[in-house]
Amino acid sequence: MQDQNTPKQPAPSTSPDLKSLRLPANYGATLGVKKLLTIVPVVRPKKPQFFRTHGSEDMTFPAMILENKESRESYVVAPEIAQEISELVRPVMLHAAIDRQNNAFLIPVPLPGEDGTRNPWHESLAQAVEHAKAKWIRIAANMHVGGYDIYEAEGALPDPEWPEDGIDALVEVAFRGKIISSLDHPVVQSLLGKI
Amino acid sequence: MTALDFSDGIFLVDFEFHPARGREGNPPVPVCMVVREWPSGRTWRYAQADLQQMAAAPFPTGDKALCVAYYASAEMDCFHVLGWAPPANVLDLFTEFRCLTNGLRLPHGNGLLGALMHFGLPGIGGEQKDTMRDLILTAGPWSSAEQLAILDYCETDVVALDNLLTAMHDQIDWPRALLRGRYMQAVSLIQMNGVPIDIDALAKLQTHWLAIQDQLIADIDRDYGVFEGRTFKARRWEDYLVAKDIPWPRLESGRLDMCDATFREMARTYIEVAPIRELRSALSEMRLANLQVGDDERNRCLLSPFRARTGRNQPSNSKFIFGPSVWLRGLIRPKPGWGLAYVDWSQQEFGIAAALSGDPAMMEAYRSGDPYLAFAIQAGAVPKNATKKTHEAEREQFKACVLAVQYGMGEASLAARINQPVARARQLLELHRRTYRQFWKWSDCAVDEAVLGGRLWAGFGWQIHTRDELNDRSLRNFPMQANGAEMLRIASILLTEAGIRVCAPVHDALLIEAPLDELDQAIAATKSLMQEASRIVLDGFELGSDVKEVRYPDRYMDKRGAVMWDKVMSLIGGAAPA
Repeated sequence: MQDQNTPKQPAPSTSPDLKSLRLPANYGATLGVKKLLTIVPVVRPKKPQFFRTHGSEDMTFPAMILENKESRESYVVAPEIAQEISELVRPVMLHAAIDRQNNAFLIPVPLPGEDGTRNPWHESLAQAVEHAKAKWIRIAANMHVGGYDIYEAEGALPDPEWPEDGIDALVEVAFRGKIISSLDHPVVQSLLGKI
Repeated sequence: MTALDFSDGIFLVDFEFHPARGREGNPPVPVCMVVREWPSGRTWRYAQADLQQMAAAPFPTGDKALCVAYYASAEMDCFHVLGWAPPANVLDLFTEFRCLTNGLRLPHGNGLLGALMHFGLPGIGGEQKDTMRDLILTAGPWSSAEQLAILDYCETDVVALDNLLTAMHDQIDWPRALLRGRYMQAVSLIQMNGVPIDIDALAKLQTHWLAIQDQLIADIDRDYGVFEGRTFKARRWEDYLVAKDIPWPRLESGRLDMCDATFREMARTYIEVAPIRELRSALSEMRLANLQVGDDERNRCLLSPFRARTGRNQPSNSKFIFGPSVWLRGLIRPKPGWGLAYVDWSQQEFGIAAALSGDPAMMEAYRSGDPYLAFAIQAGAVPKNATKKTHEAEREQFKACVLAVQYGMGEASLAARINQPVARARQLLELHRRTYRQFWKWSDCAVDEAVLGGRLWAGFGWQIHTRDELNDRSLRNFPMQANGAEMLRIASILLTEAGIRVCAPVHDALLIEAPLDELDQAIAATKSLMQEASRIVLDGFELGSDVKEVRYPDRYMDKRGAVMWDKVMSLIGGAAPA
């Protein structure tokens, strides 16, 4: 293939097998960088938001919740305090949920009352949460029927990527600074009209 | 491996030379050579007459010896011109200095003097160096005193190499450094070979270029109406874009982005933009006189290996035929009885990203042969039995999305590119993130590594220090570009060592040539070796390649430049059309 003007080729090199010189592209392997869970909202999913709930019972958390409607904040209340202000709190089951952007959040689903019944809206929300364990759904309030319409995604959407954190960690982040363990808590004092 | 492994010795080598007959583009004429043994310091000096009488290098060049130079491709060019067998092992302290310091601010540059100053070593003054270079470029004849001065000057460079090797020795990654040295030998072979040029067409262009500019503007602008005299009018261009419904990127000020990179990018999507881009580029940048063509009608210039931060070659745009004006590539024409082949890796960046990140969906998409359609299928946007024909529009959007991710484009730019609302662009980018999660995790880790670890690296040791580089887009793109460069280097080594005539490396492609009756065989060998190079760099993952063949009397032509080429040639009544 060479003509006479072609420069001489180097002799085949005796250098070691090229593949053995390859360095892995394992960036970050020794740095141990991981995404920290810093925000976990406690909310009902918004109307356009497709979401999934975790299928495991381990990813639920029963809690007594106090909702401050004014500030739209939720507080978790210690059981002994909840007894003292039962008219302000309600028992809920917190369900780990996640949206299409892999943002984790907690959905509070009010539990049935002592008679085993619950508000139809709450019942409807509980059904939606159950449905979301297997399918991507979004929900929208239907005032006429007094419950949520459930819309299931038609595409073959991939399963969500759940954070490695367990429910305790999610709850801890969600309620950081929002735990009521004393009747002296300013939110309680305010709701009781003491300040 | 270290310097201790070279039992036959380590020899620091420097030539002085000038281009034959004073013409850039011609091979070098060696003027003298100085060799210094390291670390003993024994030195040998050879004048031009001495060199011409030698059939081989006057020092050991076998497996157990090491040849050290600064910018070794130039020294290897001299070896070739002298007819000497090249050394088995080459260490290039330029490539090693670049590798050690890439990404760092070097106040004195990365020439030999800059490297010496970086390590606090003495060197001769830049002014003296310029004076001696000028003397050498006169091509002689030199007086005895001048010859002695040139030899003394040459010796200062090997003394500098001696100091530099001592300073750098312990920081050199020896096995990979020798691989880079091997590439510099390949570079030399490629530079010496050069690209065949249609010299008649070039001469006509050079003669008539100034005279035809107005005609050319009138001829091309007939379909656009955007020039006023020789001035390109932005407002008229805006009117044209509106009339043609072409979305165009804008600056923050709201004005059209008129930079050449934007024209080039848009010309890929809107082919009707290409002639006006070529015209603008030709009018503003083209300096035909700078194109280096030797007496043998071949374009030769420094390929400037390892000059780019990614480790890619960075030859001069005006000296290299594959510079920015693509229509000028029509000047590339094989000689009678010969053919050319432009062989490029198919979707190289996508394949590299898939393999290095280990993303199974991305690898599957690459292996499908049409990663853009595969992406659309994987994202659930088109049915599984979709084809390029049945879902062309969707495929184009997903293709644009893949390219947008590679270029680090945001949703607004992608929206402009695909002429769709920003919401659609956002959706496509989101689909990419969801479909190729493993890739995105890996890409995030690369950014973490760069920011926290302070450097990124490619498969064969090319690295960049990233303390001063916090551009997310550049950091994410570095592994693909740098490993693409590694792949091209290894392919260049494999091809040249297999005896294939490589004319030029071009980003993700190699231009080769062969006699017509051997062209098919050369192409098959090239494809095979390029596949092997991809397997070596990507740990077994194989990239395919595409071939564009040109057989004499045809000429090479990039489709983006075909209209411009035909217009120019019709105006000068010249060479054969594209």
